[in-house]
Amino acid sequence: MRVWRSVLAVAALGVALAGCGAEAPSSGGAAPEASGPWSFTSGSGEVVTAERVPTRIIAHAGEAAALMSFGIRPVGIYADEAVTTDPNLKDLDLSGIEILGEEWGKIDVEKAASLRPDLIVGDWWPAEKAYSGLEEGVDEKSKKLAELAPVVGVSQGKSIVELAEGYEDLAESLGAKVDDPRIAANKQRFEESVARFKEAVAAKPGLTVLAMSPADDMVYVANPEYAPELLDLQSWGLQVINPDSPDPGFPYWENLSWENADKYQPDLILWDGRSFTPTANAEWGAKQPTWFQISAAGAGAVAAWPAYWLHTYGHFATELDKLSEAVTAANADIGT
Amino acid sequence: MKTTSTRTARRASALGPGLVVLGAVLALVAFLSITQGSRSIGLGEVLAALGSMHGDGTITSTVTLDLRVPRTLLGVLVGAALGVAGAVLQGVTRNPLADAGIMGVNAGAAAFVVLAVTVLGVRGVGVSVWFAFAGAIVAIVLVYAVASMGREGATPVKLALAGAAATAGFGSVTTGIVMTNIDALNELRFWQVGSLAGRYAPVLLGVAPFLVVALVVALGFGRALNGLALGEDTARGLGLRVARTRAAAFVVVAVLAGAATAACGPIVFVGLVVPHVARFLCGPDYRWVLPYSMLLGPVVLLLADVLGRVAGAPGELQVGVVLGVLGAPAFIGIVRRGRLSEV
Repeated sequence: MRVWRSVLAVAALGVALAGCGAEAPSSGGAAPEASGPWSFTSGSGEVVTAERVPTRIIAHAGEAAALMSFGIRPVGIYADEAVTTDPNLKDLDLSGIEILGEEWGKIDVEKAASLRPDLIVGDWWPAEKAYSGLEEGVDEKSKKLAELAPVVGVSQGKSIVELAEGYEDLAESLGAKVDDPRIAANKQRFEESVARFKEAVAAKPGLTVLAMSPADDMVYVANPEYAPELLDLQSWGLQVINPDSPDPGFPYWENLSWENADKYQPDLILWDGRSFTPTANAEWGAKQPTWFQISAAGAGAVAAWPAYWLHTYGHFATELDKLSEAVTAANADIGT
Repeated sequence: MKTTSTRTARRASALGPGLVVLGAVLALVAFLSITQGSRSIGLGEVLAALGSMHGDGTITSTVTLDLRVPRTLLGVLVGAALGVAGAVLQGVTRNPLADAGIMGVNAGAAAFVVLAVTVLGVRGVGVSVWFAFAGAIVAIVLVYAVASMGREGATPVKLALAGAAATAGFGSVTTGIVMTNIDALNELRFWQVGSLAGRYAPVLLGVAPFLVVALVVALGFGRALNGLALGEDTARGLGLRVARTRAAAFVVVAVLAGAATAACGPIVFVGLVVPHVARFLCGPDYRWVLPYSMLLGPVVLLLADVLGRVAGAPGELQVGVVLGVLGAPAFIGIVRRGRLSEV
């Protein structure tokens, strides 16, 4: 059982996510030519410059995956969990890349220094005013990473598409040929997935979904306002329910006691993908007396939701296809 | 002399009825705990669900019968266990600040929970409860064994020192594992905040037999604790087998605190404060302190829990958090009244 993972995820991401939802990313690439002087407008608004284009890059998990999708290969990666399970990294060939951390808030800075990086890449979290891996709450020692090289990143905002575009700009500034046909193919696949998703949603008028993460002492309901991928789904027509009283100190979620688990009655539950398994619904139904009081859970209408990790067109396309299937299979008359 | 003994006699005669009143208060609080919560359910619906005694599949009957009733019963048992364990420990160690925590119980239980995750891959409250129980028992046995070394046996000072050492030792094991294993951290994170939520009939039925038996046994310790309170030499002079009594008392505390901690995680202040409140109400005689603590413990625990459930709606505040917030000022109040010296 991966029961507690979501609790941790909630807490850890809370710190990490304490910023998303402010300004839309405003980063833009510059200097398309390699080798010459380089500059990039980071998510923080700061213009970071260097005498030559950085080549020895250390990147956070999803950001690394985004750069690699454009052919920019970092020399080191720090992740928040094992790179074999991290959804951004597990399918990538990481040979030759140093792994500098596999737990949130813990980075081996000594090893990082030995890589002589000239650029650190991590998402910018506007409300926290910090980059991934350097937020409040991480190991003080980890924060020394920022002293090794300039840090840049795209701002976590209102849309995964904007995030992906921001990393495309960054990759381009680092010398990636973004007109590579494989990149175009990925984008094409993404566009098609979006079209299919819109179609699937349009075919189910009245379908409502709720993004949830059940935990042993509480049920968490995601607030789309702070989950860019859920905002994207909403913008493509899916009715993702907005919880009416998110935790004021921690607005990513509304906390429901198990007594109130049935507060919302969606037609389909989008289950936090970090804790979802094919048997999770049955397990939680057996364990929590009120879980099946949510009609959708009782009817087995659950699907994984790629919670808070997407960075690339490719990953989003794959996840969208699964969601389209779930929407097509859903029954719009289960909830109320 | 006459006036003193008359006053004592009169006071003693009021203690029995006082206990009955306290029992009634507990019944009232338990009723509150079943009728109030983070979900508002009409009194009529609650009573109807209780009257039928079996779920009819509606959310109100599920919440009442499957969530609130086991939660309340667990709160009663755990509150009683913590109150009595605290009273026995304070008596046997003659340390007014003793509670199960200083004997390494929480640290031992936490270490075993994370060991279970890393070594055996065990997950979930239904299983980890047994590892927490084992860890608590091991901690107390270890502390007692270490403190018993040497000629004078397990003196209060040696117990406190051994407890502190065990807490540090188990704590570093836990930290070491948690630093390198994220699953263990996840498991610990939920368990580390004392809570009555999310534990249903299986946990209740699992720990109840241990708690009930240990509570009954503990009530029989009143006279022996009165003897120990006079000091070891006097107690020995009165014919008390000090070492044996102490060892037996520790077994009882181990079971009470171990099972309570296993079921709900570390819950602070109940074991520490309740015996002092009991002494304030009924005087220093342990034959009364123990039953008073047994009823006061659940009153305090359930009241804090109900408060956290009502105040936290639609979520909940864990009872461990509520007690931490309310317990500190209460404890300072007790210290300032100078009641501590009367142990």
